[in-house]
Amino acid sequence: MARLGLDSGGSSRQDPALLLVGTDHRSSPLELRERVSYKEEDAEELLVHLIARPEIAEACLVSTCNRTEVYVQPRADEQAYRTALDLVFLKRAAEMEQPGRLFVLRDGAAARHLLAVASGLESMVLGEPEIMGQVKQAAALADALGTSGTVLRRLLRASLAAGKRARAESAISSGAVSLGYAVVELARNIFTRLEECHVLLLGAGETARLVATSLIERGTGRLTVANRTAARAERFAAEFPSVQVIPFEARTEALGSADVVVASTGAEEPLVHGPEVDQAMARRPNRPLLLVDLGVPRNIEAAAGRIENVFLHAIDSLDHLIQRNLKRRREEVPKVEEIIEQELGYFRAWYRGLEAEPLIARLQKQAERIRRDELAGALARFPPETHEDLERLTRSLIKKILHHPSARLRGKGAEESLPRLDLVRELFHLDDDEPEEP
Amino acid sequence: MTPLDTFLGAMVVLLPVAYLLVAVDYGTLFFAGLPFARRSTTPALRSVVLLHLADLVALTMRWHQFPAVTVSQALSVLAFAVAVVYAIVESHGRERSTGFWMVSMVFVFQLLSSLLQRPEPPKRELFHNPIFATHVSLALLGYAAFAVAAGYGFLFLRLYRELKAGRFGTFYGKLPPLEVLERMMLGALTVGFLALTGAASVGAFWAQHVFGDGWIRDPKILFTIATWCLYGLALLMRRLRQWQGRQTAVASLAGLGAILFSLLAVNFFFADFHGFL
Repeated sequence: MARLGLDSGGSSRQDPALLLVGTDHRSSPLELRERVSYKEEDAEELLVHLIARPEIAEACLVSTCNRTEVYVQPRADEQAYRTALDLVFLKRAAEMEQPGRLFVLRDGAAARHLLAVASGLESMVLGEPEIMGQVKQAAALADALGTSGTVLRRLLRASLAAGKRARAESAISSGAVSLGYAVVELARNIFTRLEECHVLLLGAGETARLVATSLIERGTGRLTVANRTAARAERFAAEFPSVQVIPFEARTEALGSADVVVASTGAEEPLVHGPEVDQAMARRPNRPLLLVDLGVPRNIEAAAGRIENVFLHAIDSLDHLIQRNLKRRREEVPKVEEIIEQELGYFRAWYRGLEAEPLIARLQKQAERIRRDELAGALARFPPETHEDLERLTRSLIKKILHHPSARLRGKGAEESLPRLDLVRELFHLDDDEPEEP
Repeated sequence: MTPLDTFLGAMVVLLPVAYLLVAVDYGTLFFAGLPFARRSTTPALRSVVLLHLADLVALTMRWHQFPAVTVSQALSVLAFAVAVVYAIVESHGRERSTGFWMVSMVFVFQLLSSLLQRPEPPKRELFHNPIFATHVSLALLGYAAFAVAAGYGFLFLRLYRELKAGRFGTFYGKLPPLEVLERMMLGALTVGFLALTGAASVGAFWAQHVFGDGWIRDPKILFTIATWCLYGLALLMRRLRQWQGRQTAVASLAGLGAILFSLLAVNFFFADFHGFL
């Protein structure tokens, strides 16, 4: 059973005991993060070792290229912290003990952090959607191994709910924030269906690779590559089997059939000229053409952009688009934070119910005992035909009197402050020696 | 004052206000993307369109003639037709991003209609003639389609300019793609042109039969022929691939301007035998 959050005074806490020890892209460089990053097999072994320790009741690990975070429900806080630190981080990279490399959060702050991670607020690229899948995998692994219990399972569910709501109810993940997706986004604003578009890539370098990845992921119909060095183009096509290679000299001819042209070579002179584009447009009347020039210096003559129905975007334009989208995502952060607070409130209410249920059961049991005792003494003074009615009346009275206190103890009406459970015990003189009902 | 008169009197104010509120609702969807607007816009529009239909039916019952005998009534029918066309386009394409612009246009037409309202429209025996009623219906359908085409033409031009200039402003990312806007515009233009051709043909047949020669010199008729030629030219140039989307969009906007001028100015100041509308 999960350890309940009772402090030494017998009073309840708003949050369950939680401990988070972690590192991310803000606190440590890539080389360190790589060393403390865990693939699935390693994560399995680590979690099993963590849960074997008596000071740790539950454990879950979220490990990606940008963060490694271990969430535990501690039985003994300080020992659990040392164990998590040693097993997860110091064993692989002693430098993690340097100041600032790790962050440690507890209880409500740890819970809030996990919800923020799943919502994309803590990602290197604000709002990136991949983190949801990664948190889901972490939750599934902990569940399969049995290292997550009542509290962590519920918390992970809350984090996924927050992430789902953040993406559905805000624009935190919308708009392209990378070069590749910016090209996709531009194309989507021009063409009916990306699946019907023919994309011509001029160049087969790293930038072309990024763009091709984004285009293929988003379902581009046809991809053609032309590179000055044929061998490089062939290597590119080997990496992307759906890509067709054409000779570099055929690029002008290919303009007539391409809907999107992405140029990303290191050529000193433009590869595509205004008159060539003009001729291509004559062969494709009434169809727009998107030219994306990612080369510095330019691969496509600026004059091409002045042709009717031709849209020319250089690297500055795409950067401007990305910055605009990032700015819009940042404007959505307060909305997402509100969602996180709501989901955290539901989690706390659930936890509250977990603690309060035994107490409510004792309160109801005591009230029922008083009712029975008093009624037994009074029934003799009433005619027998009224006994059933008196029974019903007294039951109804008890139910109505206890309804509101029970609801408050379960934490309904989260905006009000929750009553301390020890005060309730004192007020109603609930016997502490009496065993709590499960 | 009968209940029907009370209802019609209330609609003079209620209809433009209702369309304005629906336009604002679509506006919150377009500019702010508020969740409640995603749920409320379509039901709100359909409710107001039904209310508008009730108004037109009431007008017909009250005056015992097709409710297009005055400029005010014609504008109201035009507004209704545009609203219906847009509701169908929205339902078919499951696309509400253009709603603010279309419903705003409906609001403008309905507001003009209310402002030009006359207490008692003239009785036109003419409108009891089925051939003439067909002519008017086709003409108003044509005008509604041209209005929709102009709406999409406007949006096409705004998005085109933002994409051309690399300025990612109000319209970028919020509208259907440029190709879709162009297709919607051309579809509406084609429907409008066919309807107006039908209206002109029926009207010419009827006028020749009733008035003999000379009817063609009416300023309203001449202006309508010029408008019809403009739209025909736009479609022809597009078909011959001489015009791209941008030129067609400009023509559709110019065409709407011509229609409004014809309805408002030509009717009041220049019309001869066609002065009823």
